[in-house]
Amino acid sequence: MWRRSASFILDKEDNAAQPPPPPAKPDTLTLSLSSPPPPTATTIAATINPPSSFSSSMADTLQNPNPKISAYYQTRAAHHGVVSSDWLAQAQAVAEPHLPEGWARSGSAAEPGGGGGGGRPFSVTDEFNNWRQQPDLAEAVAAIRALAAVIRASEATTMMELEIELKKASDSLKNSDTTSISLTAGCDLFMRYVTRTSALEYEEFNSAKSRLIERAEKFGEISQKARRIIAMLSQDFIFDGCTILVHGFSRVVLEVLKTAVQNKKVFRVFCTEGRPDRSGLRLSNDLAKLDVSVKLLIDSAVAYTMDEVDMVLVGADGVVESGGIINLMGTYQIALVAHSMNKPVYVAAESYKFARLYPLDQKDMVPAERPIDFGVPIPAKVEVEKSARDYTPPQYLTLLFTDLGVLTPSVVSDELIQLYL
Amino acid sequence: MPDVQTLVNELLFKLKKRKIEGSHATARQTAILLRLVISQQRIPYTHQAAALIDAVKAVGEQLVAANPVELAVGNIVRRVLHIIREEDLSLSTVAMVGLNVSAVSDDEGDTDQDDHPVLSAAAVAAASRNTLRPPSLQTLLEDLPDSAAVPHTSSSGDDSEGKSKSADKSSRSRRLKHDVIEAVNELIEDISTSHEQIAEQAVEHIHQNEVILTLGSSRTVLEFLCAAKEKKRSFRVFVAEGAPRYQGHLLAKELVARGLQTTLIADSAVFAMISRVNMVIVGAHAVMANGGVIAPVGLNMVALAAQRHAVPFVVLAGSHKLCPLYPHNPEVLLNELRSPSELLDFGEFSDCMDFGSGMGSPLLHVVNPTFDYVPPKLVSLFITDTGGHNPSYVYRLIADYYSTDDLVLQRKPAPVN
Repeated sequence: MWRRSASFILDKEDNAAQPPPPPAKPDTLTLSLSSPPPPTATTIAATINPPSSFSSSMADTLQNPNPKISAYYQTRAAHHGVVSSDWLAQAQAVAEPHLPEGWARSGSAAEPGGGGGGGRPFSVTDEFNNWRQQPDLAEAVAAIRALAAVIRASEATTMMELEIELKKASDSLKNSDTTSISLTAGCDLFMRYVTRTSALEYEEFNSAKSRLIERAEKFGEISQKARRIIAMLSQDFIFDGCTILVHGFSRVVLEVLKTAVQNKKVFRVFCTEGRPDRSGLRLSNDLAKLDVSVKLLIDSAVAYTMDEVDMVLVGADGVVESGGIINLMGTYQIALVAHSMNKPVYVAAESYKFARLYPLDQKDMVPAERPIDFGVPIPAKVEVEKSARDYTPPQYLTLLFTDLGVLTPSVVSDELIQLYL
Repeated sequence: MPDVQTLVNELLFKLKKRKIEGSHATARQTAILLRLVISQQRIPYTHQAAALIDAVKAVGEQLVAANPVELAVGNIVRRVLHIIREEDLSLSTVAMVGLNVSAVSDDEGDTDQDDHPVLSAAAVAAASRNTLRPPSLQTLLEDLPDSAAVPHTSSSGDDSEGKSKSADKSSRSRRLKHDVIEAVNELIEDISTSHEQIAEQAVEHIHQNEVILTLGSSRTVLEFLCAAKEKKRSFRVFVAEGAPRYQGHLLAKELVARGLQTTLIADSAVFAMISRVNMVIVGAHAVMANGGVIAPVGLNMVALAAQRHAVPFVVLAGSHKLCPLYPHNPEVLLNELRSPSELLDFGEFSDCMDFGSGMGSPLLHVVNPTFDYVPPKLVSLFITDTGGHNPSYVYRLIADYYSTDDLVLQRKPAPVN
């Protein structure tokens, strides 16, 4: 009773009750528009000589104006959509050499020959990339499975030897993709487990080895279980009639929302587009299949819609020691807006994503870049910010849902200290 | 000797009818009742802890359902469950160490234990400790034995050892109950002395010539301020009256009786006076796991005023008020709406509030919530009987006092054994 009423449910019912408005015909519309805008539109069209590729789209816009879009913005769109001929000529002149260089794809294809194995036919990086292909498998799980394969293929006879081999393999894995945080965190976690297990528990080497392999294989199950635990823990925070803003495509967040649907909760989701990977489009597609009411926003529309939002829910690529998160570019922006409007920001992340990093600002991480397609070739003198992710400091996060429980950001450093020190 | 069930029913009745006021009294009575339940419970030789836990959960479930808003009941039930688990754990690790020492010497015992890998006592102790602590990164990759597995290995060990253990078993069962009751006595003692323990810290926080603001009346705050007065600190107190119950009036009277300079103000005057105040000291109804506070109505406003003027907002809370749950919708779920007669006089307003007039429902609604939720970022310091803590430290206290298995008090339909 103290929350804003869920008017979207009432609106939906109202819209269903009313008959949909009849589709308007273009000629009647041009007549119904007030006199000043059409002449300006036509004059602009007349004065500027657009290149041929744009003329057809412009003509379309003028012939079928959508009645809901004001003519003012239509003309502005047409105006800004025009690219002058010198810009195009300049861009095309340097288009060819510009495209392939400078776009460092974060960990795309493995280096041929596999950076790791060091001459042996078994290559840990190849193994890792094999596992990574599966869409539902988290990176850390793939890494740990690869390390388990290393143990299996190893000919070591003592624990020390095995540890050294594993350390080498883990380092080569980390070097093959320096930008992936969950990969690093997964490797570190497994190495830590190995060093702790060997000392105390087993006097016999083979049983220790088999136990390590068994635990590593089981880790995939842990990952699945982790998602379910997180989904269960977050159920109480999703109440009927709430509006959730999500950013980026996270399998954990999808699991949370799926479980909420299974528990018959009524809610709606605002999905940001997530340029340039359009991850939001993918997520909204999946949510629409679940019969959740989804609204897509462009990334810049977040502040505009923030007052209708009840909570922000994001996943994380990595959770750092300060309790902050590293996630898709745009998360920091959304967290800032949410914080200034007193909306809670919840993060759903599995515990193996906790990494021993402490970024002090945005540039303090290994840069991870990705290609951005602006739709037109970019001239050489124009620089593009290609970073794929940003760091959200802990003071903008409210709670983290992990398989270790619901945590406040300050608990994260405590957990990491207990593990590593 | 009165029947346990009658006493349980009595307490249930008191909780349902809200006859017990305040978390302190509720906590004490709950703890005393649970101690009685434990001492009267007959427990079998094997799986003793599980039987005790079951019995306590059965009573606890009913008590919590009787008054869900009184979080102290649930807190004490969970504290007792944690005590049972801890005592059981310490007893079984002692037995385990003793068992392994003797198992190594004679070979016949090993044949029965082929299916279990040979683990050193240290590893078993470490594993059992992990079952009690909340899941952490350290245990992520380990195969956590179920709580059933630990007594299982001990019982299989007992079988292989034969008759020499049976005498130990019965003494163990007596020891468990004894230890648990001792620990519960300590808990009751802690609850009773929580006011004194908090008041002892008053001198460190209240300095000479300070101005303190408080709202409504809290016994903890009263004793805190009086303790500072005893130590010859001279300071002044602003008391906001705390409508609609006006308990601030009573507090003001008490303070004056103890010789403190007091000023009484209306709740609406808090924002006006806050700039002249050095510190705000208030009590709490409950402290949630994220550091948020369920406090008497009006304190959220005081907290916001304090933040606006950079005045420290100090919350006094005994450890029995610490709740391991997260507040999802505290304004509704953890709130109680009291009678509108505290606001309006029924006689004068009877026509506005009359259901019989015209529409069928009155146009005048009166809402009288008891509690307010203060988010953790507005609280500067928590003073508990264990000392002063940051709101972000609350999770550590919870990990010390409670086990994660007990967060949900409903028992599973099939008993886990």
